[in-house]
Amino acid sequence: MASSEAAAGRVDTASTQLFIRQTSGLVRELGIPAAVGISLASVAVVNTFINFNAGLTDFPKADMYLPLVAAAVIWLVAMFAYRYLLRAVPRAGGEYVYLSRVVSPAIGAMAGLGIAVVFTYVLSTNAHFAAQFTPFMLTGLGLAFHSTAIANAGNHFGSNLSIAWLSVILMLIVAALSLFKVKIVARIIFWLIVLQLVAFVSLIAILAFKSHADFVTAYGSFSHHPGAYQATITAAHANGVLFGTSIASAVAIIPFMVLNYNGVLYSYYVGGELRRPGRTYLYASTISILVLVVLWVGVWALLRARAGLTFMQAQANLGVINPTAYAKITSLSSVSGGLGYGLLLSGDPITKILFATAVPFAEIAVNLAFVTVTTRVLFAQAFDRLLPVGVAKVGDRNHAPNVAIGIVLVIGIAFCFLTSLVALGSIVALQSLFFALILLAGGVAALFLPLRRPDLIELPGASEDARKSFLRKAAWVGGATTVLALFTVYELVAHSSVYGKFSWESILTLVIVLGAGPVIYVIARSVRRQRDSLDLSLAMHELPPE
Amino acid sequence: MLLSRRQRGDKRRALRIYFATDIHGSDVCFRKFLAAAKVYQADALILGGDFAGKALVPVLPQDGELTARVEGQTVTVPAEEWEQLAAGINRAGFYPVRMEAAEAAALQADPAALDRLFRSEITAQLQRWCDLAAERLDPGVRCIITPGNDDPLEADAVLAAHPRVECPEAGLCDLGPVTMASLGVVPYTPWDTERETSEEDLGKQIGQMLDQVPEGRNAILNIHCPPYASGLDDAPELDDTLKPVIRGGRPSIIPVGSHAVREAITRYQPTVGLHGHIHESRAAQKIGRTLCVNPGSDYGSGVLRGAVVDIAEDGTCLDFLLTTG
Repeated sequence: MASSEAAAGRVDTASTQLFIRQTSGLVRELGIPAAVGISLASVAVVNTFINFNAGLTDFPKADMYLPLVAAAVIWLVAMFAYRYLLRAVPRAGGEYVYLSRVVSPAIGAMAGLGIAVVFTYVLSTNAHFAAQFTPFMLTGLGLAFHSTAIANAGNHFGSNLSIAWLSVILMLIVAALSLFKVKIVARIIFWLIVLQLVAFVSLIAILAFKSHADFVTAYGSFSHHPGAYQATITAAHANGVLFGTSIASAVAIIPFMVLNYNGVLYSYYVGGELRRPGRTYLYASTISILVLVVLWVGVWALLRARAGLTFMQAQANLGVINPTAYAKITSLSSVSGGLGYGLLLSGDPITKILFATAVPFAEIAVNLAFVTVTTRVLFAQAFDRLLPVGVAKVGDRNHAPNVAIGIVLVIGIAFCFLTSLVALGSIVALQSLFFALILLAGGVAALFLPLRRPDLIELPGASEDARKSFLRKAAWVGGATTVLALFTVYELVAHSSVYGKFSWESILTLVIVLGAGPVIYVIARSVRRQRDSLDLSLAMHELPPE
Repeated sequence: MLLSRRQRGDKRRALRIYFATDIHGSDVCFRKFLAAAKVYQADALILGGDFAGKALVPVLPQDGELTARVEGQTVTVPAEEWEQLAAGINRAGFYPVRMEAAEAAALQADPAALDRLFRSEITAQLQRWCDLAAERLDPGVRCIITPGNDDPLEADAVLAAHPRVECPEAGLCDLGPVTMASLGVVPYTPWDTERETSEEDLGKQIGQMLDQVPEGRNAILNIHCPPYASGLDDAPELDDTLKPVIRGGRPSIIPVGSHAVREAITRYQPTVGLHGHIHESRAAQKIGRTLCVNPGSDYGSGVLRGAVVDIAEDGTCLDFLLTTG
């Protein structure tokens, strides 16, 4: 027997009551804390310490304060664009749904299939990244267990072939874990994220409570060379490493920082579950962006104070420019960044183990999440009949999407070998550009919303003028996001030597990735029409209510 | 494609079904449902349950103005804009009801009266919808509406009495090349809704219906609850306070469908299973030879999610398409 209750009357005056009937199902139950959790969990927090190091390698004279804040501003503007899209299409499915409904199904297919391909590639790059950290992990574990054998074992994993195999092993671990029931996979991701956060907080604490002198001593002690700190800087000078800071470098690295924030707006992917979606999404995203700005600016300030900017620039670049000279000074992995500094400063085995294993655990967590997201994107394409329905088949025993997981992982493992053994860099160099284009897609969808689908925006009780004003704002914010995304794209193109070289291979790859969706859509539609099957264009056909 | 060219042979379409579900009081969605007959050239429209709305919004008149709570905010408009305001309220599937402030306060203190008002609004809307179907639908298009677990029992009488609408609840219905069995009852839920039963009893009810299907004749199952662990039944896991459980920064998703429905599909292998109930689990899966479909629901956005299913002369499934309109 259904029962009824007075709900909003508890908090509002009698004139604005809402009576809710007890029925099954959830209606927009996720509040701001849950949405903040979703946003922050979508950003690989522990990578912060490594990404600064990578940024200094690519842009030696970049100080991170301006890029961190500028990139946050770009995401804040984009956040408003997605807010309007969420207002128009509350049960969101990301760019695929936005573009399909607001622009056209073919353009939506471009985003959908492109995202699936690029996300699969990202799986392999994450695995490759974690494999590269194996020597650092073994160094850390060796220090924790006082075992030279473990520490030296890292020397056996430097070749491309061994990194390829390590990447494959990591992918197989992800594959095995993905085949568990969804609930178990969620628990595994949860605990891996907990470990990541514990490592992150421990690292901040160690950096906060140790001094610059402690760091210099610890680095010297680890390197068995009391003057290792100064020797690293001197060697970097001799090898032409650039020191100091410049505005031009800070501006050029903004797209890199934009990519670091990628995921911070992901609560819109669960737009259908958010309580008062527009408001909740806005608050949650703002809080998440602010948390990240404060955290990352704070971490950067700590790293500058403890290790010193000059040393960080020297260490990051010497290891790349002249690895032999770097290896003569220290055995600390040059790519380890802040994690490596924390490892040197930590005095107990527990934190050493945490820092040593942070990257592999983080990447396994990220890859498990990516497998879920990528299979969902494949599902959406299969349900829209762009891919065979069998792709979305759920296993009878484990209730997992075995076929989709299999496809994603087979392609991912192939990418692992290609990434490690072939000069795939030139082919997939435009991966960064693709992610910037996704941001551009969001801006364009918001810009086109008032022009193509003003009917999707309804403001109950508001006058027509207020509605038009709302639509104008959506266009302005969409336009601003488009401009900022274009700026990001421009910077990526202008600094292609760092972000990805333009070669016939890379351009062809991008064209294939972007073109695959529309081509498959057109082919699938024409084949179905020839067979007298249901027309694919009906899938997103707007039904007239009158 | 569902069937390969060789498998299809020269099979021809004998029946096109348009199926939607869980529109929960949304007038816009029901109008779109009726329009779907022409747009998709459907022979039969099937609305698979949970048509009743979830909330009721008092609209209070005062000094020539109307005040109501819409999408979490208090809105006041001139009295002559009642229709726009009502449409705005109903966009989320809620029922706008004009009443004095004293009446609203009295309802808050009297759950039984509120329950009666809900039932009255639901049946009145259903009556209007049936009349609209009679007015708008081509005579050749069949309109089948079956209840779901959230729909009050009084709704069955409205549907049964209307000449333009069919309601074969808990029974069989001849659709030409196939026979359809319908059931809106679901296994027990945490919300204690109108039509719930045990898995054992649900299995028995489904079995009794399907045992009556003539041997050799293909069937369609129009069962509101989806089969367990089919991908059509993924929903957020709930804690004791019915709030979603967050794990690893994301809502924990678990299968919540019916074991009895799954067993029935595995045993009887109907051509198609039409399901709803879990709004967020829009999906299509094959269990053995049976194509199971849950088009999902987006009624709160005024968007009608549906499924077009083509059936051949021999009752087999030729093709399907999930739609968003």
